[in-house]
Amino acid sequence: MSQLVAALRKDLLLSWRSRAQAAAVVVFGATALLLLSFAVGPNAAALRQLAGGFLWVALLFSSTLALAESFRAETEQKGMEGLLLLPANPVSLFYGKALANWLQLMLMGMGLLPVLIVLYDPDLGRLWELCGILLLGTAGLSAPGTLYAGMAAQVRAQQVLLPLLLFPLVVPVLLAAVKASSLLLLGDPMGQAGSWALLLLAFNGIYWPLCGLLFGTVIEE
Amino acid sequence: MSVDLLPRPNPRAPLIASGLIAVSVVLLAIGSYIGLFHAPPEHFMGDVQRIMYVHVPTAWTAMLVLVVAFVCAIAFLFSQRWKWDAWLEASIEVGVLLALLLCVQGSIWAKPTWGVWWDWDPRLTSTAVLCFAFLGVLALRRFVEDPLKRATWSAVATIIAAADVPIVYMSVKWWNSLHQTQSTPQTVASSMVTPLRINAFGILFLAAGFLVLRSHLAQRRLAGELAPPLPERAEAHVQPTLGGAS
Amino acid sequence: MTGGIITGGWEFVWAAYGLTFAALAIYGGSLALKIRGEARNDQEQKR
Repeated sequence: MSQLVAALRKDLLLSWRSRAQAAAVVVFGATALLLLSFAVGPNAAALRQLAGGFLWVALLFSSTLALAESFRAETEQKGMEGLLLLPANPVSLFYGKALANWLQLMLMGMGLLPVLIVLYDPDLGRLWELCGILLLGTAGLSAPGTLYAGMAAQVRAQQVLLPLLLFPLVVPVLLAAVKASSLLLLGDPMGQAGSWALLLLAFNGIYWPLCGLLFGTVIEE
Repeated sequence: MSVDLLPRPNPRAPLIASGLIAVSVVLLAIGSYIGLFHAPPEHFMGDVQRIMYVHVPTAWTAMLVLVVAFVCAIAFLFSQRWKWDAWLEASIEVGVLLALLLCVQGSIWAKPTWGVWWDWDPRLTSTAVLCFAFLGVLALRRFVEDPLKRATWSAVATIIAAADVPIVYMSVKWWNSLHQTQSTPQTVASSMVTPLRINAFGILFLAAGFLVLRSHLAQRRLAGELAPPLPERAEAHVQPTLGGAS
Repeated sequence: MTGGIITGGWEFVWAAYGLTFAALAIYGGSLALKIRGEARNDQEQKR
C-alpha cells in the first residue's frame, strides 16, 4: 500500500510540475468544443441536444494528449528503466499513474464545463450529477488509457497507436457517458441517467483490476 | 521470463491446409448451390434472405476464430511458447477478415430489408467495434519490432479487446433499445437448416485452413527473427572453420 | 418495420456472396503465394 501512495505522490508531483502542459490540453479541448459548435451552427436546440456528446468527444481527444504526456518523464529521460529498478511492484506503479491520470482527466473535464455552458446553453439543474458522470467516465478512460500509454510510449508511432488502441476499447464508456450526460444536460425528467452510471461502474469494475494485472507484462524489458 | 528457443514450423502444414481448403471449397459450393437455388424463399424477406446462408456461417466462424485468438493470447502469456504467438497472429488476421466480411454482408442485407445501409443493430455494431479493436492490435504488431515485446503486447491487447466485446454488445443493445429496432427472424425453417449447416462447415474448414497456413508463415518468420545470425556464405566458403566467431 | 413481402433483391444476394467469396479467395491466394515464395527461398538456400 505504501508503494502505491509513493507512486501516486510521484505522479501527482510530476503532473503538478507540468501543469502548463495540462493547461494547454484544456485549451485544446475547449477549442475542440468551439469547432464542434461551428459544425452545428447557430441552432440552439441542436446545440443543446448535442452538448453531452461533444463534451465527451472533446474530452476523449484531449485524453490522448494527457495520457501520452503522463509517460513523458519515463520516455525522455529513460525513466522506464529507472522505474523497473525501483523496489516497487508494477501493480503499484500502474495504480499510482492511473489514479493521477484520473484526477487530471477529471480536472480537465471540469475545466471544459464553463466552455460547454457558454457555447451550448444546456440545462444547469443537474450539474452535480453531471460531475458524477465525469468522475465515472474519466475513470473508464484512465485505466485502459494508462496501460496503452505505457505501451505506446515505448514505440516510434506513439501518437497514432494510443488512440488507435484506446478508442474502440472505450466505446461502452463513450456510449454510457454521452447518454447520461445528454440526459442530465437536458434535465433528465425521468431519472434514466442512473442506469447508464451503473454501466460505467461495471466497466470500471472490470478494467481497473484487469489493466493493473496486465501492466507488469507491458513494461518489462 | 524464459521463452522456448525457436519455433519449429511443421513442414506438413501447407499440405494439411490444402486439404482443409479443398474440402471447404466443395462444401461451400454445395451449400451455396442449395441455398441459392433449392431452398424456399423466406416468408417476409423473399429471396434476399438467402444471404443468411453466408452471413450466419461467417458470423459463427468469426466469433470462433476470435475465441481462438483469446485462448492463444492467454496461452502465450502463461507458457511463453512461440507457437502461441504465431497462432495468435494468424487468428487475429483471419478473425478481422471474417468480421469485416460480416459487416459488409450485414450492410448489404440491411439495405433491402430495413431500407438503410446501417441501423446500429447491436450485433453488427459490436462487430464493427470488434473490427476496429483488432485492427488496432494488428497495427500494434506492425509497429513493434522486438518479437518478445510484440508477442506479449499483442496478447495483452487481445485479452483486453476480447473482454470488451460482451460489454460493447450489451451497451449498444441497451442504447439501441431506446430507439426503434428492427428485428431479424430468429427461427429457421427445417428446409433451410441443411444448406446452412453445410456452409457453416465450409466456412469453418476454410478458416481452419487459413489459420494453419498463416500460423505456418508466422512461425517461419519468427524462426528467422530469433535464430542466431549465420556466417556469410562467401566467408563460410573461404574459411569453413569460421562459425560462431563474433 | 417493413411489413409485407419483399420481392426480387437478387442483386443484393449476388453482391453478398460475390464479395464474400472474392475476399476469401484473394486472401487465400495471397497466403498461397507467400508459402510458394518461402518454398522457393528454401530451395535456393539448400543449393
